Amino acid sequence: MTRKWRGLAAAGALAAIALLAAACGGDGNGGEADGESDGGTLREVMRRGELKCGVTDTLPGFGFANPDGTFSGFDTEFCRAIAAAVSDPDDDAIRVTFVPASAQARFELLATGEVDVLVRVTTITAQRDVGRNVDFAQTTFYDGQGFVVHADSDIRTAEDMAGTTICVAAGTTTEQNLDDFFSERGLPYTPLQGEWPDPQDQFLERRCDVLTSDKSGLAARIAALDNSGDYRILPMTISREPLAPGVRDGDTEWKDVVNWVVYGLINAELLGVTRDNVDVMAASPPNAAVARLLGASFQGSAAADLGFGVDPQFIRRAIKAVGNYGEIYARTIEPLGISRAGTLNALYTEGGILYAPPYR
Amino acid sequence: MTVVPGGLPPPAPTPLFFRRGFRNLLVQGVYVAVTALVIFYVVQALGGREYGFGFLNQPAAFDVGNQWLINVDGTTNTRFTMYLVGIWATVRVVLVTLLLSTVLGVAVGVARLSPNWLLAKLAMLFVEIFRNMPLFVQIVLWYAIVLFGLPQIQNARSLGDAFFLSNRGIAVPWPEPDGGLYGGPEWLTAVWVGALAASVAAAFLVRRRRQERERETGQPHHPNRWAIRLFAAGAVGSFLVLGMPLTIDVPELSGTDYMEGLTLRPEFTALVLGLTIYTASFIAEIVRASIQALPKGQTEAANAIGLSGYQRLTLVILPQALRQMIPSVTNQYLNASKNSSLAYGVSYADLFFVANIIQNKIGHAVEVFALIIVTYMLMSLAISVVMNFINSRLTLTRV
Repeated sequence: MTRKWRGLAAAGALAAIALLAAACGGDGNGGEADGESDGGTLREVMRRGELKCGVTDTLPGFGFANPDGTFSGFDTEFCRAIAAAVSDPDDDAIRVTFVPASAQARFELLATGEVDVLVRVTTITAQRDVGRNVDFAQTTFYDGQGFVVHADSDIRTAEDMAGTTICVAAGTTTEQNLDDFFSERGLPYTPLQGEWPDPQDQFLERRCDVLTSDKSGLAARIAALDNSGDYRILPMTISREPLAPGVRDGDTEWKDVVNWVVYGLINAELLGVTRDNVDVMAASPPNAAVARLLGASFQGSAAADLGFGVDPQFIRRAIKAVGNYGEIYARTIEPLGISRAGTLNALYTEGGILYAPPYR
Repeated sequence: MTVVPGGLPPPAPTPLFFRRGFRNLLVQGVYVAVTALVIFYVVQALGGREYGFGFLNQPAAFDVGNQWLINVDGTTNTRFTMYLVGIWATVRVVLVTLLLSTVLGVAVGVARLSPNWLLAKLAMLFVEIFRNMPLFVQIVLWYAIVLFGLPQIQNARSLGDAFFLSNRGIAVPWPEPDGGLYGGPEWLTAVWVGALAASVAAAFLVRRRRQERERETGQPHHPNRWAIRLFAAGAVGSFLVLGMPLTIDVPELSGTDYMEGLTLRPEFTALVLGLTIYTASFIAEIVRASIQALPKGQTEAANAIGLSGYQRLTLVILPQALRQMIPSVTNQYLNASKNSSLAYGVSYADLFFVANIIQNKIGHAVEVFALIIVTYMLMSLAISVVMNFINSRLTLTRV
């Protein structure tokens, strides 16, 4: 008799395993998302009708949560561009959900599928590329690390910063640059790392003497203050910080789309396509390059579909939604007093390094 | 066997599900299945990566503030060294918190039972407010108060130019090792600390000897008085003989920070304040309950033999209540030590904070979190061992 019951029990246990396996398989996304992605973010976004975009919500000019709950900034415009690009022209536009991502948690949010794309003033580094589940697309903004001090302080050079307390966001490349910079010069310093409390608050309250971050971000933060004259940005730049959107490792289809939305917006500026003239340009393209970019027919030849897995007019929709690169810059960063002329972010034709491969 | 007419029918066999053997097997089967599944999924999720702790031996490439007595930097020191710095920061917070919360907790707990109406109600208010507010909220609140409430460094308040208060921290005079009057080497200070320890040991020995003699003879031998005298003589005597190998460093303002002395940074202060007050509110309740659990006759007997209120408390009530308290207080100690990881929220670089910086830079989340877990476990075990030792000593009934 006992043998019979044993057999039944074993069968029951097996059934339990099968049930659990099925249950776990059901939400398998959570289980395997930490590993390599199966390459389906594009399909997933289109199916969901929603793009979850990881952004910062505290940095004016780049990603900022307005009091009315909307988001504005350079990074958020790229989110909108991507969402518009992958929308089905015959269906409702894909909506963007902005997910505030902290510096410390951003890569986990991406790896676990909480966000589809990370457009969060994130520097490309080899360590992140290799060590984290993130693949970087084309750089959207070339930045560099700088310092801001109180206007009444005597700090003007690197040597003046010896022995001071320096506020820096935890979990950033800034933290490492800071250490490189000071140890190269043999200067002592005391870091005060944080995420909450905001390093900016600590600096404004003079808990520290210096605040360091990406220079454009510093300028944007200071410009947004009422008493911006009380602070002084030091002229030196101590690092290169190419800021780029991030997608999950191995999801080449999705990365291609994100990449070419960025390239597309740069190409649009190079070709003189703007939000206002995009429809006119598409109706009667001045040349083959514009026609290809906008997915329009030109001199009788049919519009090209390069096989991105989305509607071939995706770049046209992105331009229509947010304008070309220059328009985005002028709308979000220019108002903070950070002019583009003469910086790395100017077009290569105008002395900068902003360059995009042709769309063909 | 023949069936007796009108007797009970033979019992029906028990349904399968209600048999003990089957149920045992079922429970065990499900347990094994779930365990196997968890292991399977963990192995699968972790597969295909390289594991190992080698990354801890590479240069840290980051620095942390809030260091004390040690001085490391991210260039010459490894990530593991930085982690040790984090552990040291945690240990400091935990030790100070346990000490202060015990003192405050006992005081508030006793005050709750005070016949003084105002004192009792204030103590109750303290407990109810701080016990019922989330700890993280309290710590963040304290930090905000310290950061935004205290004057900025250029307006630092000072007390006799020896104590300073600003949102850069609280600076107090602090002893510094010194060669002493004869300009000797700095290790003279260490010699003096050794002499100090020796006098403590000697004082305890004498105290015990005199207690024994008091018990044997019934004559007063003043064990405490003599112990204190011996300790004072040893401490002061060796200090003078060694040429006073210690100076008191008085803090001063230098530029935008303090020099010399000891500076309690706002992050440390806020964390210790939050942890201490929160833990004290729980310890106060334990103290109150332990006192109330004593038979009323103890108080009455103490009153009857004419002890003063203070004597009643320190000689009769607290020593007995202490036995009840220790196990519950141990729990609170363990909680407080683990809650110290909330340092994360006030940018105090404790072990969790440092480990997170490392993990954020290079990944290896599995190893880093294993390290964190083991560290906290060792810390908890250490506290448990000490508290269990105290407990076993206290519960010994000595007649």
